[in-house]
Amino acid sequence: MLEAINLKKTFGDYDALKGLDLKVNPGDIYCLLGANGAGKTTTINLFLNFIHPTAGKAEVCGIDVTEQPLETKKLLAYIPEQVMLYGNLTALENLRYFAQLGGHDYTETEYKSFLDRCGLQSGAYIQRVHQFSKGMRQKVGVAIALAKQAKALLLDEPTSGLDPKASNEFSALLIQLKGDDASILMATHDLFRAKETGTRIGIMREGRMMQELGTDDVSHADIERIYLEHMHGDSSKYAA
Amino acid sequence: MIISIARKEFAEIVRDGRFKWTATIMVLLLLTAMMAGYQKYTTAVRIQHAAQTGTNQQWLDQGDKNPHSAAHYGNYAFKPAGPLSYFDNGISNYTGTAVFMEAHKQNFAIGRPASDQSAIARFGDLSGANILQLLLPLLIIFLGFTSFSGERESGTLRQVLSMGVTNRQLLWGKALGVGSAVLIVVLPCILVGALALSMAQSVDHAEGMATRLATLSIAYLMYAGIFLFLTLAVSALTRHARTTLMVLVGFWAFTGFLMPKAASEISKFTEPTPAFGKWMADMRAHQLRGFDGVPPFAKFARYTKELFKEYGVTSVGELPMYFVAVRLQKLEEYDYPVFDQHYGMIREAYTSQRKVQDQLGILAPTLPLRSISMAISGTDLIQHVKFMTDAETYRRNMVVKMNDYLSKASVHLNTTYSSSNYMRADEEVFAIVPPFEFEPPNLNTMLAEHRSNFILLFLWLAAAIGLAIFAANRISLERN
Repeated sequence: MLEAINLKKTFGDYDALKGLDLKVNPGDIYCLLGANGAGKTTTINLFLNFIHPTAGKAEVCGIDVTEQPLETKKLLAYIPEQVMLYGNLTALENLRYFAQLGGHDYTETEYKSFLDRCGLQSGAYIQRVHQFSKGMRQKVGVAIALAKQAKALLLDEPTSGLDPKASNEFSALLIQLKGDDASILMATHDLFRAKETGTRIGIMREGRMMQELGTDDVSHADIERIYLEHMHGDSSKYAA
Repeated sequence: MIISIARKEFAEIVRDGRFKWTATIMVLLLLTAMMAGYQKYTTAVRIQHAAQTGTNQQWLDQGDKNPHSAAHYGNYAFKPAGPLSYFDNGISNYTGTAVFMEAHKQNFAIGRPASDQSAIARFGDLSGANILQLLLPLLIIFLGFTSFSGERESGTLRQVLSMGVTNRQLLWGKALGVGSAVLIVVLPCILVGALALSMAQSVDHAEGMATRLATLSIAYLMYAGIFLFLTLAVSALTRHARTTLMVLVGFWAFTGFLMPKAASEISKFTEPTPAFGKWMADMRAHQLRGFDGVPPFAKFARYTKELFKEYGVTSVGELPMYFVAVRLQKLEEYDYPVFDQHYGMIREAYTSQRKVQDQLGILAPTLPLRSISMAISGTDLIQHVKFMTDAETYRRNMVVKMNDYLSKASVHLNTTYSSSNYMRADEEVFAIVPPFEFEPPNLNTMLAEHRSNFILLFLWLAAAIGLAIFAANRISLERN
């Protein structure tokens, strides 16, 4: 489970996050929507303890990330907008390395099964990843998350720049992970993907959570309308 | 965890095209230097052996003559090249390889290879030591400068830090990985060098060769460690790989090129050596007026009185030894303290210059390493001073033996001397002077002399590790 409790973050004079409360339960895919600068990536960075909160706290499975950063990182997997891998290593070598960093080690067959599960073609396992497309890298990123057996996933615009087919495949993978009872927090600009993949949606603006929605309760059109209204400042009707 | 990081780091480095090129160049340079050094060393050993044997035989074959004349005929001492001189020829190109030993005069060493070299040779010899001192740090910098800043730029650092790795694990893993990549380049060349050394003649010349090699290896490993941890520290402290490279190459140029030259100039300024002409004139004047202000002939007149008194005689003819030989020896001995003082002054100036240069090692790790490397290789000032001291001891002993023989064998000439009946000695007499043999300074003595350099090198390593740990602990993605 992921939980943000009155989480605040200030960069100099700029308030990036102004008291965020958020809870992502096991089996949830929580999609954070918002314009650039809304605080989505800051939230993810706070869960990863890459940055430290000004106030409030972020918890992973009930553990404060600031107090026990290594423990919480062991429970997390992180997939950024562009999964950065070591170009001179093959997909298998990258997977093995990151799995070992996460404290896991598997047989060659098991590593291959992770890559297979993510839809990477078997011929690519032993190819150096500098030749990989973004979609292929994202698949390796998901394989790393699978190998890490993470309880929670943090995804920062993972489908940005992917073609529709690759995007669909990625969404299918996320739904698989949800089935493993992982808590998934995904920052995205993709309203369509949020509705299709997510179980809940949070709309952020200027460091605040403006509104939370259940994806089953709203249509694509509703999401778009509500989102645009928040972005254009007419948020009084929906203030959380 | 650390092993996993090291293995990945190593794999990434050795697959990189830059590594292949730099490693190939490094290996070629090292092997060329080792081979050239080895060839130079074996040639030097052969020449030195032939020259020393030849001059020893010349001494014996000089023809029948008065023993004191034989002392004037003199002999040469040739400095043997130590086995490790093929690796580090230190200052031997500038100090001279032979010294002429004759009655009444203490001479400087002659035969400086540097004087036969072209101007281009001033840019430095291609020796194993020079390559390791200058290019090894550069290799480490090229292999390690992207360790943290490169990963920060490419985004993999975020990925890695999200896995629950501690910054220190990352530091030690990277140190091990980069260090292993450096070792696979350098180690085979060192082994080839050691193998060549074991096959060379006269390797038993320097005692404790295994200890020397081990100590030398430790010193160079410490030096490599300094640059390894400095590289990682700067890489962790800077945000861009380009900045890391600029800072490190700047430091490399400072410590490898600027400081050795600057240290030499500073030491010459703070501990100047006298101008040769003035020094020579001063020594000559000091000889004439006597070490203690009593001119040699006046001193000898006093001594003659004491001698007559000691033997209870009133004339030279009654003395039980050849008076002329006694006088020759006494005049020789009156010069000893003058030589000791004036040559000692130059030796002290050079020693003080060396100490100043060593002290400046606090600013550049290349300086203490260079001193240690030369010392263990037997090509430093201490070794040369020992050679010159041994040669002077031999010279004095040679003159004493000849004068002593003359003194005992020609007593009758005290009363019957004429230009036709002076004493003539032959090969049998000359053989009482044993051949010159140089005993290099004991390794423990050398190490004790360079204790401060070892401490400096250790402090540099400790500081580099400390800085790397500090920098690793500061790694943050706060402003990434």
